[in-house]
Order: sequence, then structure tokens, then C-alpha cells
Amino acid sequence: MRNLRALRDPALLSTVVVLWALLGLFVLYPLAALLGRIFWEDGQVTTAGLRAILTDPHQIQAVWNSLLLGALVGLAGTALGFLFAVTAARTNLPPPWATVLDAATLLPLVSPPFTAAIAMIFSFGPRGLVTWHLLGIKGYTVYGLGSTFFSETLTYFPLAYLTLKPILAAMDPNVEDMAFSLGSSRWRVFRTVTLPLTVPGLANSVLLLFAASLADFATPLILAGNSFPVLPTQAYLQITGLFDLRGGAVLSLVLLVPAFVVFLLQRFWVSRKYYVTITGKAGARSAIKSVAPWARVVLVGACLLVAAVVVYFYALLFYASIVVALGANHAWTLRHYQVIFTEGLKAIRDTLLIAGVGMPLGGLYGILLGYLVARQRFPGRQTMEVVSMINYALPGTIVGIAYLIAFNDPPIVLTGTAAVIVACYIFRYSPTGIRTTVALLSQIDPSLEEASRGLGAGTGTTFRRVTLPLILPAFFAGLGVVFIRSMTAISATIFLVSINWTLITVRILENMTELALGPAAAFSVLVVAIVFAVIAAISALLRQFRARGAVAVTSLLGG
Amino acid sequence: MAAVGIRVERLSKRFAHRVKGEVYAVRDVSLRVRPGEFLTLLGPSGCGKTTTLRMIAGFEAPDAGRVFIGEQDVTNLMANRRNIGFVFQNYALFPHLSVFENVAYGLRVQGKASAEVTRAVGDVLALVGLPGYERQLPNQLSGGEQQRVALARAIVIRPRVLLFDEPLSNLDAKLRVHMRREIRELQKRLSITAVYVTHDQEEAMAVSDRIAVMQQGTVVQEGTAEDLYHRPASEFVAQFIGRVNLLAGRVVAATADALEVDVAGHRLRLSRTGAGVAPGGAVRLVVRPEAVELAPAPSGPAPGAPLGVIEGRTFLGEKVDYQVRLGDEVLQVTRYSASPGTGLSPGQPVTVRFPADGVQLLP
Repeated sequence: MRNLRALRDPALLSTVVVLWALLGLFVLYPLAALLGRIFWEDGQVTTAGLRAILTDPHQIQAVWNSLLLGALVGLAGTALGFLFAVTAARTNLPPPWATVLDAATLLPLVSPPFTAAIAMIFSFGPRGLVTWHLLGIKGYTVYGLGSTFFSETLTYFPLAYLTLKPILAAMDPNVEDMAFSLGSSRWRVFRTVTLPLTVPGLANSVLLLFAASLADFATPLILAGNSFPVLPTQAYLQITGLFDLRGGAVLSLVLLVPAFVVFLLQRFWVSRKYYVTITGKAGARSAIKSVAPWARVVLVGACLLVAAVVVYFYALLFYASIVVALGANHAWTLRHYQVIFTEGLKAIRDTLLIAGVGMPLGGLYGILLGYLVARQRFPGRQTMEVVSMINYALPGTIVGIAYLIAFNDPPIVLTGTAAVIVACYIFRYSPTGIRTTVALLSQIDPSLEEASRGLGAGTGTTFRRVTLPLILPAFFAGLGVVFIRSMTAISATIFLVSINWTLITVRILENMTELALGPAAAFSVLVVAIVFAVIAAISALLRQFRARGAVAVTSLLGG
Repeated sequence: MAAVGIRVERLSKRFAHRVKGEVYAVRDVSLRVRPGEFLTLLGPSGCGKTTTLRMIAGFEAPDAGRVFIGEQDVTNLMANRRNIGFVFQNYALFPHLSVFENVAYGLRVQGKASAEVTRAVGDVLALVGLPGYERQLPNQLSGGEQQRVALARAIVIRPRVLLFDEPLSNLDAKLRVHMRREIRELQKRLSITAVYVTHDQEEAMAVSDRIAVMQQGTVVQEGTAEDLYHRPASEFVAQFIGRVNLLAGRVVAATADALEVDVAGHRLRLSRTGAGVAPGGAVRLVVRPEAVELAPAPSGPAPGAPLGVIEGRTFLGEKVDYQVRLGDEVLQVTRYSASPGTGLSPGQPVTVRFPADGVQLLP
């Protein structure tokens, strides 16, 4: 009953109703349409579609391939991320070196997910710089598990780094000091104290990367080739090649099963295993001494090696964009940029327009929903939070196919419009803004809002004058993520582009399949440049607002 | 504006506890605060005092009971419609607003003209001793200054009542003593009704007209500081307010106006206070440390006065605390220092006397 009391507030009530309507239309309805297409035919429940796909050995192979790839990427990416995290948190790196590490991990995070894949083709492809020119290997095939695995590991290990570094950094050095004082060697301290305390983080990271690899669509499309089919590409080919919408839907649904298992494991297993390693009053931060000098050299060296590969990939991408034909004719040219700014101009304009419209809407949606679920009491509050996370948690392929099915036919026809792409981005990438808002609000004492109410302000005024200014950093972080993802994402929206509205990422893929590598490289460089400019602008805004006494937002890319 | 009273009738608030299930934070609390009165809710943490205050403010909705401010029933009114001034434990200053804007906040919500806002904020900042602080941000202020801004923000809207939730607990001991005097003077000057929550009995005694002692969600005793100190209604109140010796005794004889009580083998004659004590019944005696009289034991027999031994002595400046063994009990005794070198030393036998007017009986 007390919940209903809150709904007498008209501002709150109307916001809740509008948000539920939007969530219903852009999250629940597409999912229902997807399930309907699979299980509903001629007025009755059927599993024929499911059976047709699941009895096809080729598709079964794709399932196993996806799981294998995900497991490998999860393990290798976590190992790499842990290496970087230990180096960053335990070797007392001087700040410039720490910046190098951060930059090497930031690059893959903000680029389109297939940038590494393109660089792989440049290096190891049919006319690859490394295989053909450097090593003189003829007839080497880059396509398959190995290169897909390598490329995805390099793309996703920064997620592991971002997960593990805070855990290592937050660990009270006194805990390690204590173990030293009891006579442990460095290795023993690492093995018996540091590592066990990090295990939940490692498990979480493996799951995270497994899910990311499972959902990755572009890398396998470029690198996996015919011999190594995986689920997202199979779903895509089923729809675009065979025009079999239902088959694609079934394949995407199969993708949902491991994704859901990962979600359950994270939610109910890993999250309970976290240790609180800061206890009591924070004493003097002791200098970290858990890494021996020789080990430090090994760690830093290994990290620099990985960073060098990353930097090489991006340098190669840039180089490919300013020579006539990489591997054949290395004369300087701006022709590729000319191409993308003439023939490709529409894709650039469309992408910027879509990202530009989605950005403020996504930012606003994120802080409104985050504020409601964190601070207000109304019926269905927790359900609203869960529903708002669905599109974010699902692999993009499922969301894309669900939108395609839902908005293709009446009653709601949005296929071919920019609106459907914008909506897809907002409901898929705003959860970062929601999470950041919730996290910020949890650091802002509710007494601030009570003080405002005690002074006579209603819910609306309190939100506008007190809460909003304090969670403004979450707004910028939220809209930043929506913009960046709008520039770089492809897995969901490849199903939603049309003649009227297309995206840079889709054009890059098209260029890759047409072997127009120069324009693909130029597009990629452009995207990375725009994204970096936006990150710089938003970071500046965040610094500006931090100075005004608000709580700091640590990462644009968290979550 | 004439001061208005507050009436709280049978207020209850339950919440779900993870282990204990449904528990009462506040149970059947009734209070009456007279217009212009300063009432303090005093009790240990978890006794329900803050929850009661927050229900008066409208930050929590009661599960049962009613709240009246003046003659108006505000039980179902949101906090922003109650016209209250609230001072939070952590001050709850808006970190993104300057001192001026923090104080002006309530006035702006009321839609006051900007000239009036400027004048009122200037006046109130002068009143709390912070003239010229308008452009500072909260994080540039010391704890005491933040406290004053919080106070200014609460009183500038001329609220009907002022509510304080442990406002001094984040300040150091000296400042606390200073600020509680300021709060009290301000409240008197504005003649505004105030309810104040604290767990510090000394603070409660210093600021209040009346104190309501709370325990486990209920009010166990109400009265002036003197009432509570000298006539505690229960062991809990006796122990919570000041230091106390609780002695077990047995009634030996009872007349209409006097009792004879046996304490540790010694007879005490006390004036009778309540009914229900029959000869043979067990009673507890409340004796404040400063009420016990000690004297060096004479070398000969000392008829009438029990004999004890000094077990410990703590010199505290203006006073000396003694621990005195008397039979099975150890008494806390305070004596105010007269001159250096005087006093009693450990091991010394002493006579112990309880003046009849310094002893309170608990059934």
C-alpha cells in the first residue's frame, strides 16, 4: 500500500507510465515477437522450426564452435587482462608507463569490434604484410579458429583488465604485508593471498569474455571463414542469404542459452564470492613490494609486447588508409578518404545523425530510469530495472533479429527508418548510464533530497535542482557510451539498416567483403578519430563537473 | 508567528528484519510538545528516536498513529507540505550549491522575490555568525561552519517547527558544547518549537526543556533533566542518565511514610515514595556517585555507618572518582577536590553514608 502512495505524485506517475510504455514497445514486444515467430504458426504452438535447425549437423557444429571459441577467448583474454592488471597494480609503474598500458587497452575498447580483424587480414591475409611479404609464405589461409581467437582475445582482453585492475588496486597492501611479516616469500604471498582474493574477479572476467565472444558477430564474419561457422554469423547468413527469418531467429535463440547460463552464473555464483579486502580504518598505504625486481621486468616486458601488437595493428590500419593498396602499391594517396567522403558520405552523415539523436535521448533515459529505480518507490520498480537491462545483456544478434521481426509488419512498422536504429541503440546501450546513475546515487546521501523536501520542494523540483546537478556526470557518461556504441556497434543494427539509412560499420563490412580494403581502413580510422574526440570532450566535461563538488565518475566504459 | 505545538498520538513503525522478522522501530509512541518548547528524544542507538523524528518530519510514513503540527493533522502530508526546518546529522548541504544558494533554496521554492531572498539570506547568515560566507561551497567550510549553514537553511524559511537529528555528533567535543548553547539560544530567540534527537545525555540535559527517554521503540520516561536524574522511573533510565550505583536491598520494615531497608547488611531509613513495597520485598536503590558521603573510618567502632574500603582512585581534575568496596558491592563515588594532597587513598577504610534524600527506590 505504501508503494501506491508514491503514485499520487503526478510527475512521478507520468514518468513511470511513459518509461513502461517505452520498455514495453522496445524491449518486451520485440522479444515476444521473436519467440512468437519461432514457436507460433497457424494459430498453434510448434517446435518445427527449432527441430529443423537443431537437427542440421552444420548448425550443431556452429553451436560447438561458438562455445569453443568463447571458452578459449574467455581464458586467454582473462590471462592477458590479469597480466596487465598485475602489472598496473603491483609494479609501481611510473605514471607515463601506466598511461601507455591504459592507452593500449583503451584502443580496442573504443574501436569498432572488428578493427583487429581487419588488421589481421592486412597482416596475415592472402597478400598479408607479414605472411606474404615478410615471411614469403604463399597460400597461407588466415581464416579459421586461430585467427578469430587471436583477434577476439586482443579485442576483448581490456574488459578483463577493467574488471581485474580495481580488485587488485583495492586490495589493502597491509594484507600482503601481513603475509610477508609471517615469513612468506613473494611467490607464496601471491599464491596464497593475492591470487585467492582475485579468484572471483577472474571467474567473472572469464564469463564476461565468454559472453562477449559468443555475441561477437563482426570478427567471425571477417575471419572465421566457411570452415569455422559460429552462431551469430550463421543467423545472419540464414536471414540475409536464405531469407529464412525463422531459422535466423532460432539460431539467435540458441545463442541465448549459453548467454543466459553465463548471466545466472555471474548473478548467483560469482557475485557472492567477492571478498571485501578493505577492512576497518584505512591505515597508511604501504608501498607495494609483492613483485620481485626480475618479475617486474618480465611483467612489464610482456605487457609492452602486447601493447606493441595493438599499436602495430592500429598503425597498420592508418597506413593502409593512406597508401594505394596495402601489400601491392605503397604509394601515398588520399584517394580512400576522398572515396569515403564522397561515395561514403551518406553513411557518415547517417551514422552521425543517428548517434547525435540517440545520444541525448539515451543519456536522459539513462538518468531518469536510474533515478527512478534507485530513489523512488513504486510498484514494479525492480521489474523495471531488470527489463531495462535485457537488451544490454542479450547478444546483439538476438536484439537485431527481434527488432527486424517486430517492426517489419503492422501494427508497428519501423523497418527502414532511422527511428528503429536509434531506439535499438538507446535501449541497448543506455544501461551504462543507468548503472552509473545508480552508482552515483548510492554515494549521494538520501538526506540531501530529504533536506530539499523539508524545505518545501516537491519531487520534480527536488530532482531538477538537487539530484540532477549531482548526477550530471552520469548523464555525460551515459550519453557518451550511447554515442560511442552508435559509432562502432554492428551486431544488432546490421539487421536494421536499409537503403534509406545505413551505418559506417556496415559499410566497412561491405568494403571488406568486396576487398575494398583502403576505404575500409579509412572508415575505421575516421571512426576511431571521432570516438577519441568525443571521449576527450566528455572527459573534459566530467572533469569540469567533478570540480563542482559532485562525485567522480571513474570510467566511461565501465559495465 | 506564534509558536505551535506538536502532538504525536500512538505512532508505530514496523520494518522487516532479516533475522528477527517483523520488528517495531517505534511502538505506540505518544508525545506532546508545547508551543515554544524544546523537547529532546534521548536513547541508545536503535531505540527509535530518529525514526520518530523522521515521522514527525514526514520522511517516513507511520504504520499507525497520527502526527499533529499545531492543530493540523499532517499524518498524510508529504514533508514538503509540512513547513518544517530539519537539521541533519550529516548536514545534507547541497554540495553543488554555494552557501547562499543552499540557504536560499527553501525561499526560492516558495517563489520569493530575489531582493527578499538576498535580504533574508543575509540576515540569517548574520544570525548564525557567517556573514560574508555567501559564495563559499560547502566543501570549503569547516564542520562547525557547515553546521551553521544547515541551521541557517532550516530557519530561514520560518518553519513552524525545528527538528534536529543528532546535529552535533560530527563535531569535536569543544565545538559540540559551544554549538549546543548556540542552538538553544537561537531557538529561544525565535521562540520556535523544537524536537531534538541525541544519544548524548549531557547534550540532552544542556539543551532541553524536557527530555523523553526512549528504549526499544517506546518512550519510557518523560520529564525535565532534574526529574530524570533524581527520580528515574526504571533501572534503564537511571543508568542511561548520568552514572549510578544500583544496590540490591530488602525491605525490613515499612510504616506509612518511611521504610527501613537492608543494604549489604546495613540498615537504611528512607522516606517512602511509592506504594507496593511490603516488608520482605526486594528493592533496588539508586544512588548517584556524588550523593555518597565518605569519611575516613575512626579507629574505634563506628555505630550506624557501614564500613567500606577504598579500592581505586582516579584523579580527574576538578573531581576524584573512588571505587569503594562495601560488602559484595563496589560503589562508584565522586568527590569534588578541595585542595591538593587531601583525599583518600587506596586500602584506606572509610565510613559510607547514604543521605536519605540522595537515595531513590526502584521496586
